[in-house]
Formats: sequence, C-alpha cells, structure tokens
Amino acid sequence: MTRYLARRLGLSILTLFLIVTIVFLIVNVLPGDIGRRISGPFAPQAQVDALNERLGLDDPILTQYLRLVKNTLTFNFGDSFSLDRPVSGVIGSALGRSLRLAAFALILTIPLSIAAGVFAARRRDSLSDRTVVTLGLASSSIPEFVSSVILQATIGVGLGWFHVVGRAPEGSSIWTNLSYLTLPSVALVIVYFGYIARISRSGMITALEADFTRTAVMKGLTTRQVLRRHVLRNGLQPTISVIGVQIGYVLGSLVAIEKIFNYPGLGLTIVNAAAKKDLPLLQAGVMIVAIIYMLATLGADLVVAWMNPRSRLEAEA
Amino acid sequence: MNLKLFREMRNSKGPLQQEVIDSYADGRMSRRDFIRRGTVVGLSLPFMNVIIAACGGPVTTTVGPGTTAGTVPATTTPPLTTVPPVAGGVIRVAAQTPRVLDPVAMQDLSSYNLVAQTFEFLAGLGVAGDIGPGLAESWEANADGSVWTFNLRPGVKWQDGSDFTSADVAASMDRLTEFGNSGLKGVIEAGAVDASDPSKAVFTLLGPNGNFPYLVSLYNAQALITPVGFELGQTADGNPNGTGPFKIVSFDPATGAKFERNPDWWGGQTPLDGSEWSFFDDVGAMVTATSAGEFDAIVQFQLLGGEALLNNADFNTVITKNTTHRQIWMRCDTGQFADKKVRQALALSIDRKALIDTLFSGYADIGNDHVIAPLYPFFDETQEQRPRDIEQAKTLLAEAGKSDLTADLHFGELQEIPELAQLIKTQAAEAGITLNLAGENNDSFYGNAWCPPDPADPPCSGATELGIVDYGHRAVPDVYLNAALKTAGVWNSSQYTSAEFDAAFTEYQAATTTEAHKAPAAKLQRILTEDTPIIVPYFYNFVSGYFKTFQGLRSSALGQVYLDQASKV
Repeated sequence: MTRYLARRLGLSILTLFLIVTIVFLIVNVLPGDIGRRISGPFAPQAQVDALNERLGLDDPILTQYLRLVKNTLTFNFGDSFSLDRPVSGVIGSALGRSLRLAAFALILTIPLSIAAGVFAARRRDSLSDRTVVTLGLASSSIPEFVSSVILQATIGVGLGWFHVVGRAPEGSSIWTNLSYLTLPSVALVIVYFGYIARISRSGMITALEADFTRTAVMKGLTTRQVLRRHVLRNGLQPTISVIGVQIGYVLGSLVAIEKIFNYPGLGLTIVNAAAKKDLPLLQAGVMIVAIIYMLATLGADLVVAWMNPRSRLEAEA
Repeated sequence: MNLKLFREMRNSKGPLQQEVIDSYADGRMSRRDFIRRGTVVGLSLPFMNVIIAACGGPVTTTVGPGTTAGTVPATTTPPLTTVPPVAGGVIRVAAQTPRVLDPVAMQDLSSYNLVAQTFEFLAGLGVAGDIGPGLAESWEANADGSVWTFNLRPGVKWQDGSDFTSADVAASMDRLTEFGNSGLKGVIEAGAVDASDPSKAVFTLLGPNGNFPYLVSLYNAQALITPVGFELGQTADGNPNGTGPFKIVSFDPATGAKFERNPDWWGGQTPLDGSEWSFFDDVGAMVTATSAGEFDAIVQFQLLGGEALLNNADFNTVITKNTTHRQIWMRCDTGQFADKKVRQALALSIDRKALIDTLFSGYADIGNDHVIAPLYPFFDETQEQRPRDIEQAKTLLAEAGKSDLTADLHFGELQEIPELAQLIKTQAAEAGITLNLAGENNDSFYGNAWCPPDPADPPCSGATELGIVDYGHRAVPDVYLNAALKTAGVWNSSQYTSAEFDAAFTEYQAATTTEAHKAPAAKLQRILTEDTPIIVPYFYNFVSGYFKTFQGLRSSALGQVYLDQASKV
C-alpha cells in the first residue's frame, strides 16, 4: 500500500510540474500587454512600463518561469496583477465558497443518485428502472446554464422560495447560507443525478449478476446481508471512482452556475484571471484545482482499494 | 421686470456671468438653461432666483437636509423625498464588478460609484442633474474665463480628522495632470492651482474655458479631491480617507463592498446607516437578482433584457437622458475607408431608428455622425438628419470603386455593442457591404483594436480600419472633440485630420457662453457629418432604478448614484 501511495504521489508531483509549465506557456503565448490591460487603455505608457517592471514582466522569459516554479514550490504566489492583493487571500476565499457549494451539492446528489441507481438495478427492466434511467438521461442532458435559469425564474423569482444569488450576506447563519446555496446546488444535482445514478445502476447490476453474489445467496444469507456485504461493496466501486473525479470538476469548473447565481467561486475566479492575463492568480487557481482533482481521485482510488483488495494488488503489481 | 433690482444684481457680476444673465433676460435662454449655465459660471441659486423674480419668473426651491440654499442639489431621479425619511437602515445595491478603485485611473461605472461614496468633487450633483456646489461652495471666473477661483467649503474634514484645504485641491490636480486626465489635458498643467489661501483654490488655465467647472465636477469622474498625501496609484480602499458621506468598511472586488455613515460629514447625518454593494459580472444575473428582491437598487441595466424590472410596479425605473454613445470609427488616412464616399456609404446604410427601437426600446436620441448631442444647449437642431438611403450608398461605393467592400468590424464585448455590430452587419449588407464581425474581450479590445500603444506617434495610428468604441457621458463635448477628433488627438482612432475642424474647435473652445458656443458647434456638426470620420448612430439614455421601499436616491447622467439623501420609506 505504501509503495502504491508513493507511486501515486510521485505521479501527482510530475503532473503539477507539467501543469505549471503549460499554463505559463499558454499565458505567454497569448498576445497583449499585461501592464496595459491592468492600467486600462487611457493610462500613460510610462505608467504601463513602470507596472510591467514592478511585476517583473520585463525579465527574460526563463527568469519569469523559474520564479514561477519557485513560487509554486513554496506556495507563495505573490499578489494578483489585476486585483492588487495577495493571491492566497483571493484563492482562499474563492476556494472556501466553492467547497461550500460543492459539499452541499454532493450531500444532496450522492445519496439520492446512489439510492436511485440501486433501486433501478434491483428492478432491472421494470417500469421503475426505465423511469430512473430516462429521468437520469433527461436531467444530465440539460446544460446547467439552462436548468439554472429555469430554477431562478420558477422557484426563485416566481415562487420566491429560495434566493436567486448564491452568496449570503456576511455573518449569516448556517441555515441562511444553505438557503442561498439551495438553487445552485439543485442545478448541480440535476446535472450529476443521472450520471451517478446510471453508473451506480450499472455497477450494481454487474455485482448482482456476479458469481460471488450467487454464492452468497446460495449459502443462505438474507437479501439485506447480500446487498450490504457483497453487492454494494463491489457494485459501488465505479461510482466512487466517478465521484472522486467529479469532486475536482465541481470545484473548478462550475463557471456557468457561478456566473448565473453570482457566486464568485474558484471557477469564475480562474476564468476572470485568464481573461485579464493575471498569471499569479491563474496559476494558483489552476494548481489548486489540479491538487484537489488529484487528491479526490487518489482518495477515491484508496477507498476502492480498501473496499476491494484486488484492485490494490493489481496496482502494486 | 424690476429693472432697478435687475441692474444692481447684474452689475455686481463679471462679464462672463453678465452674458448669462443677459441671455436669460433677453429670452435667448430658458429658465432651466439659465440655472444650468448660471451654476457653471458661478452664480448661486439664491442669486439666480432674485434675477428670475426680477424678470417676473417663478423661483426655484432646493431640496436637501437643511443646508444652505443652493448647496444641495435636486435630482434627475423621479420621486425625491415624498414622505419623511426613516432614519437608519442599509440599502443593498447591485453593481457590475469594478476593476480597481484608483480615483485617478478608474474607468468603469462601478468604480466611479464606489469611490464617489467616500470622496467628493469640487462641483457635485446640482439642480436638474447638472453640476452644483460640492467641496467648493461657489466659484467665479475672471473676465475671459482663464482664471477660476473656487471658494472652498469651510469646516470640511478628512476622515482622519485633518482639515480639507486648497493644498489638497492643488495636489489632486497635479496628480490628475501627471496621469494625463483626458478632461484636463490641454486645459491645465501641473502647478495650475494657487493654494496660498487655504480657503480658495485659484486655477490658472492654459487658455480661456467657459466650461471649466465641469472639468472639476462629477462629470469628469476621476477629478475627485484626495488628500495631499494620497499617492498616484493608491486606491480608495487602500487609503480610505475621504470627505464624503460614507466610509469604506470593506471592499472585495470579487464579492462586494460595505460603507457606513461618516458621522463627521459636512452635510450632516445621512438618513441611512450605510450601504452594501454586491458585484456582478453578468448584467442578466444582476437584473434577475434585483427583480427577485435580493437588492434594493441597481446601478445600471439595459432596457433590452430588463423587462423584469421595467414591468415591476414596485420598482422605480430611472431613465436619464445623457450623451453616452458609440462611435464607429473609420480610418481616414489609409485603407478602404480613406475615401470619404466609402465612409458616407456605410453611414447611409444604417437604419438608426431600427437600432434604437431594437436595442433601447426607443429610449435613445438619434445620432447624426457627430458628437454634439441633442442634450447640449448649443446643439443645432436645424441640421438635416442623415437618412438611410441604400441606393445612394450603392452609388457612392460604385463611385469610389468599392462596390464589393468587405471589412472586419472590430468591437469589445460590452453591453449592447455585440448586438449593435450584428445589426450593422445586417443593415450594411443591403448596400452590398460585407462586414466580418471581429468581437473580443473588452479588456483586450482597447489595446488591440481601438488604440494600440504602438506606434505611439501619432496616437492610435495602430488602430484597425473599422471598429466600434464606447464613449461615456460628458457634460460638455470637449473631450470627444479634443481627444477623438482633433488632429493627433490622443484617442483619434480614425486618424481624422481636418484643418477646418480644428479651426472650428479652437473657436468653440474660446467661447465662454452658450450663445457663443452655438455657431462653432453648428460648424462642427456639419463638418463631421460631411467628413464622416465616425458614425454616431445614437445617444442612449442611462437606466438605473430602485424599489419604492426607498426614496431620495439621486443619479447623475454619468451614472453615479448618490445615497446621501436616500432613506427607507
């Protein structure tokens, strides 16, 4: 297990190094003067030049790259070019908001979709199964920016049940915060329910038809015992892997939902940083998403390995 | 008319003011224009009321929290204080995400709004949306309008407790000139303010300018007065030491800002305890959130897509006429538009009424390819409006040998501009002109297409041959004329050069009264429409609003929302 973990961590560090390099190259290939973009079109050229010098943008490209690598290794990304404040604070706040949204959405999505998948798998090819599959397909076919707008117009503006912005005023209670997060979370549930439910259903069907399940039934275990000890443990492994991957996605890629619900999370922060060529902010945002993505995937793999020693042994082989 | 009183009053003033008084007395100027213009040349409201009364007209009253008559302006917004204000409470305001709160360098409406809550101008928001007393109680000019003396309001303190003096005005103006403020460029130089008397700021201009008070007012949005120690590049949140009615409590460009009442404000206690501002990148999301009651006021929205607010009976929509417009520039020095006939042909292909109806539900003034907006008192109404004439456009293109004209239309993705570009493309196609849309992020557009920094001489000579750029409201058109159209102007992306225009502009600048402005302004209108270096399809109205649970919000035509008189109902 230690060897497996060490190999995974080594690969993660290499991936992060590649990400730093790729982001740096992309930002530097794009045309445009960062100092001009920050200072605005009407600023005197002398001020633009001074800003470029202060930000170290006049340095040779290799110097800039090495500085970036050093900053990344020490997790010191300096100040945001466009916001003129420490990157750590900006990213920290955005990450906190994204984590809250992702956590609430996943708390709603995971039990609901797994339950639906299990329910459908146990009633394979029945009307209930087809209903779950069709609903799942339909919900995951609706882009989140469409479902978000519909939710806002109907439940938010029309019925007035929930807030149409995602961010509660500062100092609000946890319940107020949750009420603000409800609609964006439901929009996420709509996207992920079908996907996770279908994976869960498929894994469960495979497990239900497996030899070990037949053996468990044959040796006289109750249905509940068969499901808990054998079917769920094996059938949910692909679902857990998928959830691990989705956690990274949920934290860094919810630009549409964040924009519609005016929720300045990590995704929106990264997009804005890219538009403004704000390299420190962009680099830090991408790194954080990459780290979370890798940690979530690693976490999911470890859970799967714990649930099924076969996969661990295969990985170590 | 009470001739004795009139003469006594008139003769107590200088030539600049006398000309304004005479224009009103002769009937050449309306009462509204008299108050507007009189304020600019330094006549106080009580003084103008006496003149109006002497001439037999009704007097004007002021609205405000018990300050000196004439010092607190009325508003352009609909209902002012209709019921006694309720003390206390916080107003929630929705605004677009600001860039950086640098008073000197800021360029967006949200930054203007936020900074103006805590810093103030020499001339603030006055009667009927014009300028009025601010940090200066009054001002007057010498005979030719080349020296202006601003009498500073006594007892004003910075939020750190120190006194506001003329040294602060001098330092602020030096910072603005060092930065190259577009309104003051060519009008004053560093060291223009004599601050030897702490209660008076005496400006010596580079030449006569009858409109100078506008250039140190809220209509030159960067001309805020900051303390002596405020450094170039500092931000309002980084050095939050203003004189205004509110103090900055917090500012996060990603989320919002909070302000609380400044208990030591010279204007007294504001009815509101403070304000909470939330920032949006997307106007649609801002309208939806406001219409759902998440916010009490919205700084700006568009009529197209703003129906949820427009149709809400509990919401006051504030529509203010102004001079905000789009310029479609065409390079006059090189490329396919160098021939005037080609530029005229494109202008003739545009259906301006259709643009206004589609983009603004009719709430805009039609443009005639010059920058003298119908709102300006010296606008020449007699000039013929350029019609849409597809046949004439085709004829001109054929004469220029450009019947198969194809060009890239560059624009930034800002407000209605992408839709405008699409509509122009469709309309121009009827005249046989093929336009390829080349939209880009507004942040990069200015430096890439409109006025690239290289080559720097002449300015904007790296501009693309065709594009659309936005121009905000100006109380006088001097910046448009000086920067965008004068030979070698700093924003002259069409590279327009005309000795006739430059001469007319010089004549316009030297004029110090509305009457004197009329003739050169008419000349400028005709020259620009004939030469067509730019197409100006419309001047659109500024739209903001607030729920009827609040009252007393005042908006300037530039878009600043003032909350000092706002209260809960």
